[in-house]
Amino acid sequence: MNPSFIALVVALPLLAAFLLPLVPKVLRRLVGPLVLLVVAALGMALWQASLSEPLVLAVGGFRPPLGIVFYVDSVAALFVLAVALVTLLLWPWGGDASENLDRKQSLTLVLAAACAGLTVSGDLFNVYVFYELAAVTSYGLAAGSRTAAAQVATFRYVILGSLGSLLALIGITLIYFRSGTLNLAHLADLAPQTLHDPLGLAAFFLILLGLGVKAELFLVNTWAPEVYATAEARVSALLAGLVSKLALLVVARLLVLVFPLPEAREALLVLGMLGMISGEFAAYRARDIKRMLAWSSIGQLGAAFIAFAIPGPAGVAAGLAIALHHLVVKPALFLLAERWGGSLARLAGAARRSPLGAALFALFALSLIGVPPLPGFWAKYLLLSGLAAQPDNLYLLAGLVVLVTTVVEAVYLFRVVGVMYGREAKGEDAGLTNTGSANTQPASALAGSGVFAALLLAAALAAPLLAAPLGRMATQMSDGAAYVARVLPSTATLSGAAQ
Amino acid sequence: MLTRYGALLFAAGFAFLLFVLFTSQPLGAPTMLAGQAVLNEAAGTVGAANIVTAVVLAYRGIDTLGELSILFAAATAVGLVLGRSHGKQASGEATEPGGFILRAGSDLLFPLLLVVGFYIIVHGHLTPGGGFQGGVVLAAAFVLPVLARPSETVSHAAMAWVEGLAGTAFIATGLAALAVDHAFLAPLLGTGQLGALLSGGTLPLLYLAVGLKVGAELASLLLRMTEEESGT
Repeated sequence: MNPSFIALVVALPLLAAFLLPLVPKVLRRLVGPLVLLVVAALGMALWQASLSEPLVLAVGGFRPPLGIVFYVDSVAALFVLAVALVTLLLWPWGGDASENLDRKQSLTLVLAAACAGLTVSGDLFNVYVFYELAAVTSYGLAAGSRTAAAQVATFRYVILGSLGSLLALIGITLIYFRSGTLNLAHLADLAPQTLHDPLGLAAFFLILLGLGVKAELFLVNTWAPEVYATAEARVSALLAGLVSKLALLVVARLLVLVFPLPEAREALLVLGMLGMISGEFAAYRARDIKRMLAWSSIGQLGAAFIAFAIPGPAGVAAGLAIALHHLVVKPALFLLAERWGGSLARLAGAARRSPLGAALFALFALSLIGVPPLPGFWAKYLLLSGLAAQPDNLYLLAGLVVLVTTVVEAVYLFRVVGVMYGREAKGEDAGLTNTGSANTQPASALAGSGVFAALLLAAALAAPLLAAPLGRMATQMSDGAAYVARVLPSTATLSGAAQ
Repeated sequence: MLTRYGALLFAAGFAFLLFVLFTSQPLGAPTMLAGQAVLNEAAGTVGAANIVTAVVLAYRGIDTLGELSILFAAATAVGLVLGRSHGKQASGEATEPGGFILRAGSDLLFPLLLVVGFYIIVHGHLTPGGGFQGGVVLAAAFVLPVLARPSETVSHAAMAWVEGLAGTAFIATGLAALAVDHAFLAPLLGTGQLGALLSGGTLPLLYLAVGLKVGAELASLLLRMTEEESGT
């Protein structure tokens, strides 16, 4: 496949977003889904092409350390595919005044472009631009439900998000000041001499905290429960499912390429553990289903951070498995929870009113906990076996944390399922429980989560077949030397740039 | 009270951190690796006398596309938050025209601002300035008459067309390069003579698109806010 087509995964959604308000009304609702389908097809083709060898595109035709590079290995291609499919499943089809629907569709397309850009970009500042783009679109979408609560929550999100972007920018500035380059491969090449010192680590931590805002890292994730509880379910699903994974992916790439240092890994490990503990216990205490899902998402991302802290392909494989599993499960849960919003007590008897919804919820909950043979089990299995193989005690402690929080996770998720399948409250409480249409999902939410459930079940059935591609993807992504060799074919280019 | 001291403590700590990080570095002596290489070859390969423009539009053109999109996303988000679902127009009470000096001043400034804005945009590849700066001047040109005569609103539909077409022009130039040169956003049309108005290949075209998009985006953003203010 010609690598020049990589640029289209960013350019096409942006073009569609710019043109959307100008398209005749009859065709306007078709533009976004069609473009996303094209991007999905591109992602599929890229994935097949990149399994054997990663593709590199020098954007604008400038040779790598000078111009911006797009780098697509199989992981990036898979995430491009995931971005297109998940955005399509969570597409805003209607339910708004025409003008606002246009705006939401434009913003969703820009978000898809930003996410695709984050996966393929091989340049630190370009990553920052796409991260900022994803941030601004998320603010707009989160405030898009136009309720006062959503706007207050979004305002806090904007403050924290801007602080995060600032921190990341300072980190990038430090790195550029030190090394004189922004290209990730070039940085990987120069890092041992210029960045593997306290200042370089400080820059990494600043970037980690900055990107961590979107990746729901411990300390900078306080916006998440509020925003997810007040935004539209579709938007919460996009932010928790998709955007968080891409921020995580960027951190993982930086860790593999530029900062493969024990200190950086330990930081990820400790922050991941704290995120898991705080997230899962807060989810246990939550009395509102959307907040519960938000805290659980923080816990799951903590697990993914722990996984990426494991050195070598084992860690990358575990991290990818957890991230992809969460990418499928959490959006579906948010979609299902849309009409169940509010207190957990109102869920009583939900299984009778909406049997399919409750069954799907139970399925996703089981996978989230990690009950075999569902994919969630394999993800946690990879994580625990990866942690157990490490000699350091900190990794064993992380394994213990994963096990303990899994129990907590099981308790609160089974509690919800129990309430749903339990008897409805009687007497005066019956007046409080919602009855009728308010407590059943709209067909679109059921269909969306049905597709996610089909993906989950397919992954469960094909688990033995998935191991080989996952392993290959992890090997490809964890091989920093191959990345450098692919982007900067000869050291001659390097010294040419240095003069 | 406690949170206020907390915030103060955080700000002080953050300032101290930045102070320590940046004073540990030699001031004014950054590592010029990619930077020096770009300085050496930009004039020859891109043909823009203003090296900053060569970096912004050629070497890092996709960053600029991203930044345009950020502005677009911000304007769209503001429209989503402030926009009225029922298309209610601003009420007529706040539409009293400004005083004579304001009206005469805006009449005089409007053409001047247009000329200055376009001048800055089309000379972006030669002198400091360019699409972003010129676009802001253009936006000011269109907001000023509204300040002087609030009853004369600028059509949002027209703004949307300028915005959409300018953004499309930027990406279309990039796609043309993809078709011709197999590299998205590669400069086309040769370099021309360094320093001439018509030089730098497609760079002036890209900057024109940037300028129009930035101008339309900012103007509609400001107008939407003034409408919101006068409407409530």
